[in-house]
Amino acid sequence: MAISLRDLSVDYSLQQGTAHALRGVSLDIKKGEMLGLVGESGSGKSTVAFALMGLLANNARVTLGTATIDGKNFDLTKRNATAALRGRGMAMIFQDPMLSLNPVFTIGTQLGEVLRRRAPGSDRKTRVAMAEDALAKVKLSNPARRMNQYPHELSGGMRQRVVIAMALLSEPALLIADEPTTALDVTVEAQIMREIIGLRDRVGCAVLLITHSLGLVTEYCDAISVLYAGEKLESGTVKAVQRQPGHPYTRMLFDCEVPIDRERHADASQNSFTVISGDLPDPRRRPPGCIFNGRCDVSFAECAVVNPGDYPVGDDAGHSARCLRLATP
Amino acid sequence: MTDAIAISNAQLRFGETAALDGVSLTIPQGTCFGIVGESGSGKTTLMRAVLGLQKLDQGEIRILGKPLVHGRAALRERASFIQPIFQDPAASLSPRSRIRTLMNEVGTVLREPHAATHERLAVILGRLSLPPGVIDKYPHEISGGQARRVAIARALLMKPSILIADEPTAGLDVSVQGDLLNLLQDIRRSQNITLVVISHNLAIMRLIAENAVVMRAGNVIEGGEVGSLFGSPQEVYTRDLLAAWPSIRAVNTKG
Ligand SMILES: Nc1ncnc2c1ncn2[C@@H]1O[C@H](COP(=O)(O)OP(=O)(O)OP(=O)(O)O)[C@@H](O)[C@H]1O
Ligand SMILES: Nc1ncnc2c1ncn2[C@@H]1O[C@H](COP(=O)(O)OP(=O)(O)OP(=O)(O)O)[C@@H](O)[C@H]1O
Ligand code: SF4
Ligand SMILES: [Mg+2]
Ligand SMILES: [Mg+2]
Repeated sequence: MAISLRDLSVDYSLQQGTAHALRGVSLDIKKGEMLGLVGESGSGKSTVAFALMGLLANNARVTLGTATIDGKNFDLTKRNATAALRGRGMAMIFQDPMLSLNPVFTIGTQLGEVLRRRAPGSDRKTRVAMAEDALAKVKLSNPARRMNQYPHELSGGMRQRVVIAMALLSEPALLIADEPTTALDVTVEAQIMREIIGLRDRVGCAVLLITHSLGLVTEYCDAISVLYAGEKLESGTVKAVQRQPGHPYTRMLFDCEVPIDRERHADASQNSFTVISGDLPDPRRRPPGCIFNGRCDVSFAECAVVNPGDYPVGDDAGHSARCLRLATP
Repeated sequence: MTDAIAISNAQLRFGETAALDGVSLTIPQGTCFGIVGESGSGKTTLMRAVLGLQKLDQGEIRILGKPLVHGRAALRERASFIQPIFQDPAASLSPRSRIRTLMNEVGTVLREPHAATHERLAVILGRLSLPPGVIDKYPHEISGGQARRVAIARALLMKPSILIADEPTAGLDVSVQGDLLNLLQDIRRSQNITLVVISHNLAIMRLIAENAVVMRAGNVIEGGEVGSLFGSPQEVYTRDLLAAWPSIRAVNTKG
């Protein structure tokens, strides 16, 4: 199923004023593709996910935005716009696993519930077998015993995998995974990515992968979108964006990645890390010009006054970025 | 010099699970010590035991040479020099109070005027790229990575001599991750702080820790000086971890 999100804008109201968390964000995920959504912590990635799921906080308001999911149109400014798809058509792996788990039910009960919704006619024994199989697929040891345990009896990474198993079992048409593997070691992470890709290829679902791991994106995603301070600055296929980042922010973000074989100072306290210096803009008052101005290493006078449009990058169709340096005079 | 933390033969079972199955390790003062390992291998349990939040079935833990004492008074006394950053940042933030209230508590504990606490706080928030406005928000009004940074800021505000951080960089973008690590490195160079870092991020562990251990199923399977530990790992699991690292290098070199 293909997903397209248009002009999503979300405000959060606070005592100190209204914060614009998203401004006109558009995303496209083709059927059977995985889109990696990356960007600064606090840039609005989870807000995109919550808006699609219809699970935004009470103080949030979608001021603009439509979604086309599997050919059907949804007006996201209406509360519960996508409610009909939740659970059946869409599944989300939350950043915080405890948001998906009920502390008073065993793992088995919670997985069984997902299966009851997906396969209403199935008998208990089949459901138990399917649930245990799903736990084994996310590399949880001793699945039969896990079924009788409660969330608090599991480690952080074990809980995260239970939630992933739940999402896989629901066989959604759109899977949103918000940092699904942060609490896991890279061997388990690789296994989980294989399972997600397996599901994608089997049921042809679209996957939105929110992550800070650029390694994960370049290894497993088809396309990438980059968010910064509530705005989408670049999108394109992973290959095109990696070969030729169109936006300085994307380039600077990739430069911060720490390679596993980086040269190491013998005195560990002397090793330092690359960062993007400067401050984030105030979410209540967007400054004029380019949102990245002030942190950009190649800015020029116009950047402070002209808000860049979305310009094509290179000759790869669908690769675009919002930087004035791409505007052809 | 006495070790910051010395653990000998720590054992702890949860029913059928041996969460800690005879762990021994020593962490010299003023160094950074890394703990990596499988999910469910006992890393968080070990941290909780060191903090006195979890009693061992057997074994001994010494903090700065003194055996760990349980009980409320001891817990409070320890908080003045050993600070945790928990894996789940929400767990260290109380949902009903603004972040400002949380930070004010630090001033109260340290018997420091609030103005002084907030002056130090502003510096830490700036270094962690957090907008000053976060302190007027409630924990549910900030993003996952912002919550982690708030929990870290609070722990640093306590000026601990031992900081134990469980996955401190999880949920942070690579630039903010760099901000945090540079801040921790600065603190190390200017104060005699001992850092214990639990992390799945081997790329970072290699660069900040002097020594590290790899855990599996409640045991330390190998350990030592980080350069040789990750340079020539002996255990299959450690080698697998290094081999499975998702690297972006491949395409950067492509034309
Ligand atoms: N309920 C809320 N009320 C007010 N502000 C909020 C609320 N939820 C989120 N925000 C703010 O909106 C912005 C976007 O938050 P969001 O959680 O979408 O970020 P994110 O990109 O997922 O970040 P992270 O990578 O840290 O998880 C942040 O600045 C955050 O502080
Ligand atoms: N309260 C509890 N009751 C029962 N079992 C528990 C409890 N707490 C932890 N365990 C078990 O102890 C083992 C070690 O858990 P721990 O949380 O220490 O792992 P970890 O190494 O921190 O894993 P992760 O990387 O996933 O956070 C796990 O098998 C877990 O299921
Ligand atoms: S528009 Fe200017 S400030 Fe913005 S990214 Fe491009 S060069 Fe940098
Ligand atoms: Mg988030
Ligand atoms: Mg843990």
